[in-house]
Amino acid sequence: MLHLKSKGKELNITEYTVIIPSICVGNAAQLACDLLIASKQLKKIGSLTHPALIPVYGPSAYQHEPNEKVTSCELYESVEDKLLVVQFRAPWISRHTRDFQSQLVALLKGARRVVILSGSFGFERRIIEESPWAYRASDNFKAAHAEQLGNPEVIKWKEHTGDIIYGGGNGLQLFQAFNEEGVQVMLLFRYLLEGDNSTDASLIVRELNELCEDFLQLRSGGDGSFKLTVPKSWNLLFGNDVTELMF
Amino acid sequence: MSCPGFGELNIPSSRAFWDDCEEDEFENVEPAEKLQLKFDDSEAVNPIASEHMIIIESPHIAHFASSALLQDMKRICKIPAKDSALYWQPSKLQLLAILEDDLTKSGEVTELLIPYARLAKKVTTLTLKPKVDYKSEEINKYVDEIGIVRSVGPNLANVQELEAPNFIAGVAAGIASWRDQEQTPINAYVIYTDKLPLDGTAAQPVLKLLQKIGLSCNSSYVPARKDSSYLYM
Repeated sequence: MLHLKSKGKELNITEYTVIIPSICVGNAAQLACDLLIASKQLKKIGSLTHPALIPVYGPSAYQHEPNEKVTSCELYESVEDKLLVVQFRAPWISRHTRDFQSQLVALLKGARRVVILSGSFGFERRIIEESPWAYRASDNFKAAHAEQLGNPEVIKWKEHTGDIIYGGGNGLQLFQAFNEEGVQVMLLFRYLLEGDNSTDASLIVRELNELCEDFLQLRSGGDGSFKLTVPKSWNLLFGNDVTELMF
Repeated sequence: MSCPGFGELNIPSSRAFWDDCEEDEFENVEPAEKLQLKFDDSEAVNPIASEHMIIIESPHIAHFASSALLQDMKRICKIPAKDSALYWQPSKLQLLAILEDDLTKSGEVTELLIPYARLAKKVTTLTLKPKVDYKSEEINKYVDEIGIVRSVGPNLANVQELEAPNFIAGVAAGIASWRDQEQTPINAYVIYTDKLPLDGTAAQPVLKLLQKIGLSCNSSYVPARKDSSYLYM
């Protein structure tokens, strides 16, 4: 169920790029979306509820919107950049996932293009010299971005052709569902391992921006770099300090 | 000497699904049957308009609820999440949902309770969590606290607000979130307690808060006697 703050009933995202994280190994894709939302100070426009989503409620995750509340699935927008970022804050319930996924695709299929971010277990990369990145893109996405994807100076990703991305959550299923609807869609994932995945998250954002600045609209300050903002919800990512009573 | 497991690849399970499902099993998962409230009286199936709806969610809450909270309450229906139920107090027009922690069904149960939350003038939720889940940069300040009481957002009981990265999850979170999105009043509390299931001491902050928010309840709680103890005796 879509809840828009504007009380509207549908999203108008005709010219928009939509970024969706899949709930993957190390939650790297969600962390990447966190960085994107905090760095670009995206505005929360609504949320989604569904039995597939474990309800979550809490104080704002970002410094730039201190009065907002976190929920399990949030929609963030930049009108200026025509960018919509979906953020998930809880794992899904598998027996409701198919229905939720079809509703999500129906809601977002009007977008100009969809980019799904994901990760896969590092040990699934069988050839160590190969790029730690892989992607999957629909034919219409490849055609529309032939210049960028065909430039080996910029893109060193391997095209994924398998049936499963281990550790990638439902990313591939979501990709296929958008592809069947004829939406321009790309799935980009990084091989990584569980641990402190904040670096992987920033690498995902930077890699996507390198492919096409037009996706994220993260503009460099002239020297090719841009500043990412760490959200306040990343505090104590690995729990509390060890209590003094232990010693 | 052998080393068990040496050389074996221990593949972690998927983070994507809360219930037991992996990426390669996802295609074969059967869609869920729709959950329903099981009404005690077949005539009482329509949602009740209440003055105050209170939702209490915790692991092992059933005994605490039945012995300390449910005076003059009539059960309306069973809620399909472990031992959960919805109660009604006609004299005060209060609805009380007692929910056993069951995250797998929490999204669906939230949808079942939304019609009641829609008709309620005031909604208060209380989530009980173990103290070890509370995150703070000043955690040593709370070492001796029996219960850490917080509210999500402003509240009527002058309770300190919860700070990020803490949050609540479950049906109470779902109803609170829904009321917030609908821009209707909501008071959401969480107590991080030293002991779950509650004992007589750990129940004190819970009972005090419930009295403060207007629920008639006992001033003390005696837990159920157990035949076994945690001690090796």
